[in-house]
Amino acid sequence: MHPPAKRSLHIARSVTEALEARARLGDNAEFFAGGTWIMRADRREEFEDRHYISIGGIEALAGILISKDDVVIGASTSHAELAAALTEVAGFRALQVAAEKSANPAIRNLATVGGNICTGGFAAADLVPALLCLSASLEFSGADGLERVPLETFLKTRSAVLPGRILTRMIVPRRPRRSAHARLPLKKAGDYPVAIVSASFALGENGAVEDAVIAVGSVEHSARRWTALETAIRGLRPTSADVVALAKETAGEFQGRDGVEAPGWYRVKVLPELARRAFEDLAERKV
Amino acid sequence: MTASIANPAVMNLARRDARDKLRGRTRYTIDHVTPGTLHAFLLRSEVPAARILRLDVTKARAMPGVRAIATAADAPGFFGIGIADHPLFAKDVIRYDGEPIAAVAAETLQQAQAAAAAIELEIAPLPASITMAQALAPDAPLIHENWRDYEILLEGAARGGNVAWEAKVMRGDTEAAFARPDVTIIDSCFSVGRQNHVPFEPRAVVATYEDGRFHIKTSTQVPWTVRNATARALDVPASQIRVTVPPVGGAFGLKFDCSLEPFAAVLARKTGRAVALVNSRREEMLTCLCRENAEIRIRSAVTKEGEIVGREATVLMDCGAYGGEQIFLTTMTAHTLGGNYKLGSARISSRAVYTNTAPNGAFRACNGVYNTFALERHTDEIAEAIGMHPMEFRRRNVIGDGDLGSTGQVFEGDVLGPMLEKMAALQAKAPATPRAPDDRRLFGRATTVGTWFIFVGPSSATINLNTDGSATLITSGVEIGSGTMVQSLPQIVAARLGIRPEDVVVKGADTDAAGFDLGVGGGRTTVSIGAASTAAADEVRKQILHAAGELLQTRVEDLELGAGRVEIRGVKGSGMTIAKVVQHLHGTVGPVAGTGAFTNPGVEAMAGCAMGHFIDAIDIPVFAVHDCEVAVDPDTGHVDVLSYRVVQDVGRALNPRAIHSQIQGGVVQGLGYALHEDMSVGPEGRILQSGFETYRLPGALDVVPVEIELHEGAPSIGPLGTKGAGEVPILNVGATIACAVSRAVGKPIHELPLTPPKVLDLILGDPRHLDHPHISATWIDNTIPVRA
Amino acid sequence: MTVMLRINGEERAFYGDPMTPLVDVLRETLLLTGAKAVCREGFCGACTVLIDGVPTPSCLKPAGLSGGAEITSIEGLGIEGELTALQQALEDNDVVQCGMCFPGMVMTLTPFLAAKPDPTREEVKQALVGNICRCTGYERIIDAVLSIGNKERTP
Ligand SMILES: Cc1cc2nc3c(=O)[nH]c(=O)nc-3n(C[C@H](O)[C@H](O)[C@H](O)COP(=O)(O)OP(=O)(O)OC[C@H]3O[C@@H](n4cnc5c(N)ncnc54)[C@H](O)[C@@H]3O)c2cc1C
Ligand code: FES
Ligand code: FES
Repeated sequence: MHPPAKRSLHIARSVTEALEARARLGDNAEFFAGGTWIMRADRREEFEDRHYISIGGIEALAGILISKDDVVIGASTSHAELAAALTEVAGFRALQVAAEKSANPAIRNLATVGGNICTGGFAAADLVPALLCLSASLEFSGADGLERVPLETFLKTRSAVLPGRILTRMIVPRRPRRSAHARLPLKKAGDYPVAIVSASFALGENGAVEDAVIAVGSVEHSARRWTALETAIRGLRPTSADVVALAKETAGEFQGRDGVEAPGWYRVKVLPELARRAFEDLAERKV
Repeated sequence: MTASIANPAVMNLARRDARDKLRGRTRYTIDHVTPGTLHAFLLRSEVPAARILRLDVTKARAMPGVRAIATAADAPGFFGIGIADHPLFAKDVIRYDGEPIAAVAAETLQQAQAAAAAIELEIAPLPASITMAQALAPDAPLIHENWRDYEILLEGAARGGNVAWEAKVMRGDTEAAFARPDVTIIDSCFSVGRQNHVPFEPRAVVATYEDGRFHIKTSTQVPWTVRNATARALDVPASQIRVTVPPVGGAFGLKFDCSLEPFAAVLARKTGRAVALVNSRREEMLTCLCRENAEIRIRSAVTKEGEIVGREATVLMDCGAYGGEQIFLTTMTAHTLGGNYKLGSARISSRAVYTNTAPNGAFRACNGVYNTFALERHTDEIAEAIGMHPMEFRRRNVIGDGDLGSTGQVFEGDVLGPMLEKMAALQAKAPATPRAPDDRRLFGRATTVGTWFIFVGPSSATINLNTDGSATLITSGVEIGSGTMVQSLPQIVAARLGIRPEDVVVKGADTDAAGFDLGVGGGRTTVSIGAASTAAADEVRKQILHAAGELLQTRVEDLELGAGRVEIRGVKGSGMTIAKVVQHLHGTVGPVAGTGAFTNPGVEAMAGCAMGHFIDAIDIPVFAVHDCEVAVDPDTGHVDVLSYRVVQDVGRALNPRAIHSQIQGGVVQGLGYALHEDMSVGPEGRILQSGFETYRLPGALDVVPVEIELHEGAPSIGPLGTKGAGEVPILNVGATIACAVSRAVGKPIHELPLTPPKVLDLILGDPRHLDHPHISATWIDNTIPVRA
Repeated sequence: MTVMLRINGEERAFYGDPMTPLVDVLRETLLLTGAKAVCREGFCGACTVLIDGVPTPSCLKPAGLSGGAEITSIEGLGIEGELTALQQALEDNDVVQCGMCFPGMVMTLTPFLAAKPDPTREEVKQALVGNICRCTGYERIIDAVLSIGNKERTP
């Protein structure tokens, strides 16, 4: 057995202070936002000693700014704050639902948007596919200054981007689109979703899909776009049945991860149904 | 029993302990870890099977804050049920992942953990049998090499190799029945996983050792078992051990066995300090004495008319590395799987099988839950095979007055038949849940029956009457949340003494103060402790009446007790308060006390039918009829429970509201078992679900209000005709859900739990018939040959 | 390290590892044992306390980050230990069993009912997604919550 890990806490008041602390403490140091992931390190049997740098009190990471062109979300925004802020924002239903339905009420008060995106090895993050289908980009602050990275790129280069950088804000463009988020926990609520489909569609005058961004979460180790379905659906005025049929044809591009809670094949098998749910939700709404 | 005595006991008395529980003031065992208490931690094995080559605690003992380390040398004894096969610490051989090897006491938990990590342990891995199929393979290594040498605590059972215990029923000639030309033979196999109790308070103990005696404060259902097993493990006289029990934060059978207590006791003796040992949730998940996984084959020979002329069944129960409760639970199969229906002839083999996995234990309606699932699904398969409606089949075959149970006992009264009618009436009142036209889900409904039995066993009670007119009830009963100690017992005693239940003080269990008790579980408390308390109450009642008779110059027969007073019958205000009488007695003959004792009267089985059983016949049968409607999502495999109904045989409902609460809670635990709670053993013998993230307990959104009808009036030897009501509600939930889902998806179901992936697999796949190659269709091959 | 905590209206000092979960400080140092550390994962809700009025799993909150806020534990509810209307309803309806989940249930439902005094059954269930009870099967708890004020409610 392993001896209990030593864990120390450092409180940063500014991004600069946090980055300095990170530089000083080295690779054993980790930023601490809401702590809902970090505080379960023992449960995950992580035995290394750790330094935590609290960034929760940094003002520059707080707040949500909704403008004509985009929605800018501070990294330390909680899920609950995000859900409340987005209720009236057209086109953002995917993100609003993701923030409102994930976890449970108390966790939503504590867990941050930044933490949800930055947690390494967390495949079931709700906000990630939702932000992905809305073409969000991320702003990081590091020793070398500010850097803006599309979320899609970040998901592929995570390990190169993250160490030593703080995610400061997410920038989500506002475009005339409809979006939806279909998640599948095994219970009615409260457990992690075993599969997620988030989708945003730009619909033409005639109701045809001009553009679709469809993201799949929790199925593989990292969320990614369902490009084959996006392509297949473009230009169509699909019915639910069409969506399901196309989803079935294209779901094969995913390789489901086996987990204690669900086998990989299951995560892939439910994708067409989640695509249907997302589509029906999105088609029903005018916003 | 006259109505005037019986009636005052029936009421919806609210629990007296709710107020403090709601304010966070109740102090469970985990809340007794006060500053200054040493913290204990167990070094546990991380492999399923190994030989211990070297164990050296020298370095660890010298670590900061460490006050003592105990190993096998400190606890030489073996304990167990039926056979003493269980040492406290792994000594030479490790038999499961999680098995304790050493126990450390230190000033802080972190120090204890650090020291445990510093213990030097060298092991040589041994081949492990993780599944029962592996353990029963002809060439399987013996998990207990020297099983022959263990002390036998109950004679009469066959044992051998990795079969820890075998209980058998042989009534009538099944071979002849199966050979009849006019029967259809239905053969089904079933398989179920483990279920973790997840009591919110984990197993926890605080022990001290003073003046040569141990005081063990523990979260248990069985103070006397803890006392006696600890004595065996430490090889000390049981009289040196005192066990007291604070309020228990949930148990459900997990705490029906001794587990952590001897470790804390040993460390307390070594250190002379109070030592606390509390399982972490992870330990509680990985080493829980779960409801066992089981594998079952049932074969039935049934005529066209639906008569079951022969039934042969084999039930393999995984006891894990040590026999534990499963040894006893092999007894239950005769009455659960062998229950419900009239059988022309029966052969049942119920075997506890050793594997290199964490030991299992007792869980609410233990053994009954999965045997009822298997039996009811098998019954549906019979009905289908002979082309009879499943309800018609049940109506024809359920046990009624004068029918024989599997071990040949004669049942009294028609209970299940009328209960089925009550359920039909409930269904008729509420039409099937309406569905929207575009609802694509698959709908199914099922009604099942279940048989449970209450094994009463010994209990004792003392009542002191106080000069203020209150009574103090002293028993070894424990309040585990079911309400027995705060509701039915004071209600029974109060009614007997003519005082308010609020005026019955119920003392928490203390083996130094109260007499022996078998423990709180199986639904026996109200019955056994209730009967002992009734007897004790009768003694003090007699003294009061006698004294009052003298004081009032009235014959005892003309007196009655009520509202805290002794009155001349029919003349209100004619007598005096009970307090007055007690004060008088204090001054004249001394304090007023009474004691009572009770044990099972012993119901007869048919001679020679049952072998290896702890009890051959049912003291109190309890029946249940459940009904549910489900809707299954064909694309995700999610099962929505639309409605749930229960008709439960309660004998007599002393506190109907509290029984309703028990039923709602028990059904929801059953829904967890049926649909959500997946506890799987990995290839290396470690349980995969280590916490709440992966072990999914039903939440508020996953449940429905259960519609309940209590069936009263069935025969019972319980006080006032009661039967335990808390154990039974979970009994046929797995069965009912499985039968309903099976009908919804149109495929047979042979396994639980029905998690969404499993249901989707079922929907998408071809209908499959489960087969257990390691359970022979030739029944006799599943038994240990009897040596001449 | 010393952390000053404001708990139930009082300033209390905690000397120790600031990464210690608040629930352990409450239980072990301050002997406020009402909050229970049942899962230590944020799933069960038994450790819920109010931090500046917001229900928070105290198993996931380090003591070192709990300073400067108003922490209310179950012991701090009600005036001088009197039952609140919610607690009274739960007692009157006899819904408690082992009781381990109830301090957390009460801490979750108290601000919920303050914000939404007239909830539907479904809303109460949604509010309890993070509060697991192993004993009761929930429905009677919800009946009790809905009985407060005895108003007619939609299901
Ligand atoms: C009971 C429970 C249920 C849950 N259910 C769901 C669910 O249904 N769906 C879901 O998506 N999630 C779920 N989660 C996970 C939860 O959303 C994550 O734990 C949470 O989002 C992490 O955020 P945090 O602020 O608490 O992160 P922390 O624990 O503070 O940090 C997590 C990781 O992110 C890093 N990090 C945090 N912020 C930054 C930043 N600004 N810059 C760089 N790195 C950063 C940290 O260094 C750390 O490695 C659940 C969690 C719990 C406890
Ligand atoms: S102990 Fe904190 S949520 Fe379970
Ligand atoms: S009453 Fe026991 S956990 Fe809720």
